[in-house]
Amino acid sequence: MKNLPLFIGAILFSSLFHKQGIGLNFSLFSIVTLVILFFYNKTAFKVKSTIVFTISFFVAAFSVFVYNNSLSILAYIVTFITLTGHVSHQNTSIYINWLNGFFSSIAGFFYRNFNTSNASKIKTSQKDIDYLHLTKIVGIPLVVVIIFIALYKNGNPMFESIVNNINFKFINFQWLLFSVLGYYLLSNISKPVVVNPITNKDVITGNILKQKGDILVDNLKKEHQLGFILITVLNVLIVFFLITDITYLINADDFRASVFSSQVHSGINALIASIVMAIIIILYFFRGNLNFYKENKQLKLVAYIWIILNSILVINIAIKDYQYIYYFGFTYKRIGVLVYLLLTVIGLISTFIKVNKIKNFWYLFRINALTAFAILIVSCTINWDSLITTYNLYYAKSMDFNYLVNLSDNNTFILKYYMNTNDLNLEKELAIEKKYKSYIIALKDKNWQEIQFDNFKIK
Amino acid sequence: MNIPLTLVKATGLSAILFWAIIFTNKFNYIDTIPFVFLSLIPISICCALVICLTIAPFYWSKHEDTRYKTVYNTYFPFYAIIIFSLCLFGSIQADFDTHLTAFFASAFITTSKSWEWLAKTDAS
Repeated sequence: MKNLPLFIGAILFSSLFHKQGIGLNFSLFSIVTLVILFFYNKTAFKVKSTIVFTISFFVAAFSVFVYNNSLSILAYIVTFITLTGHVSHQNTSIYINWLNGFFSSIAGFFYRNFNTSNASKIKTSQKDIDYLHLTKIVGIPLVVVIIFIALYKNGNPMFESIVNNINFKFINFQWLLFSVLGYYLLSNISKPVVVNPITNKDVITGNILKQKGDILVDNLKKEHQLGFILITVLNVLIVFFLITDITYLINADDFRASVFSSQVHSGINALIASIVMAIIIILYFFRGNLNFYKENKQLKLVAYIWIILNSILVINIAIKDYQYIYYFGFTYKRIGVLVYLLLTVIGLISTFIKVNKIKNFWYLFRINALTAFAILIVSCTINWDSLITTYNLYYAKSMDFNYLVNLSDNNTFILKYYMNTNDLNLEKELAIEKKYKSYIIALKDKNWQEIQFDNFKIK
Repeated sequence: MNIPLTLVKATGLSAILFWAIIFTNKFNYIDTIPFVFLSLIPISICCALVICLTIAPFYWSKHEDTRYKTVYNTYFPFYAIIIFSLCLFGSIQADFDTHLTAFFASAFITTSKSWEWLAKTDAS
């Protein structure tokens, strides 16, 4: 009786996913998941953060229904894992939620089974049905009977004919197997497990850096000198780079796509190296007692300047990317650059706070992982294909039409509308018409489990 | 740690899982019976190699004072995550071909269960 929700959930799982594509089934399964999680872990849902993760899970599920693209599916999987992990323990960092959630989803059953004490096992075996014995009394005779049928079949033609006429096609074994898979998954997440000792270590690790031992002034003075010289030299270098880059940008009159492309991408490579180096060097020098050294103000100042200069480098790249988009339109790569720049800015701000407020390495990890998660959720709510198509068709100075046609089906109705309201050459019209017709056929062929938001747009 | 017993159990479990998944696709059990028995040889070799090379070393390398349960709780989660990722990658690469998916699914479940058997035979 206690497992009844799991059995119902397993049947629903199979009904929703067996031989089906992606669509409404993801949204419906999110409800099944929530019911199972809530039924077995009521106390976890009294915590506000669990509610927030639940909402983010439903946002991702709704995005799958509306957009049905890779990003929304990725967001769905990540939010599923995060919510499951958060239900297992509410006071952990998000990356520990990912670890606990992922592990619970794939192998929680084995881990839980192993860690159940012998005493409780004896207690439950007296009350519950002995599944092992049940499996033995059904499984062993079945296997033996099958072997003997195989042997007798060759000894008697009439028996062989009867055996050959036995038809089990009315049973859908794959559907049953899918139900078992569903039961396994739901059983795993019903009581999410906690991976230890890593979870306990995370819980007891705060965000504030603590002084280790006595402050050895001589050693710290030498380290301070090294850090100050190194970061100052790097500051000079980045200033020189920025001056030359801005001068080139102001005087540039070559707006070919290839030139812009190489500039933005080489700039991004420089930025990646610069930011990673900046954070590693800052983390190295501010890893320990140098944070508590009274004469560290100069080092902190050059570190702040370096963070600011890196931020200017980010702005510089953003301007280049904006110009690139203005002249040649949006592409996923150009949007990716903007997302990367946003993450970089957040990384720099968190590094600034780490130095200023004497935070530890784990603080950086926690904040940046949470930020990446939040950006993923926000990103999955945006119809990028529609955005790219609308901007490129109506606002960009020039664009690659084939690129728009080759995007996912999420821009089909926009392209069709554009074709109906503008004069296009025959080649473009044929490409749009082909895409539109194949999409309409695909939408009409969908089962109820696979339907998506666009199904309601067609007659 | 009873390795021979674990190998026997692992061979049996993986053979059952492997053929059960294949039979769900094409239910011609009578003609396949000889292959089921024949398959026990490569399955047992695979199980022996995987258990002896990738699972047992965790238990062998443990400190005298460390309990088997501690080894299991510390390393099994990461092992399971890695094996699951590899099996999923393999299944995707194989475009979810029934035989290969059956192989990867049985490999994941058998290795996970073998961790438990190795630890529990010691505890008992």
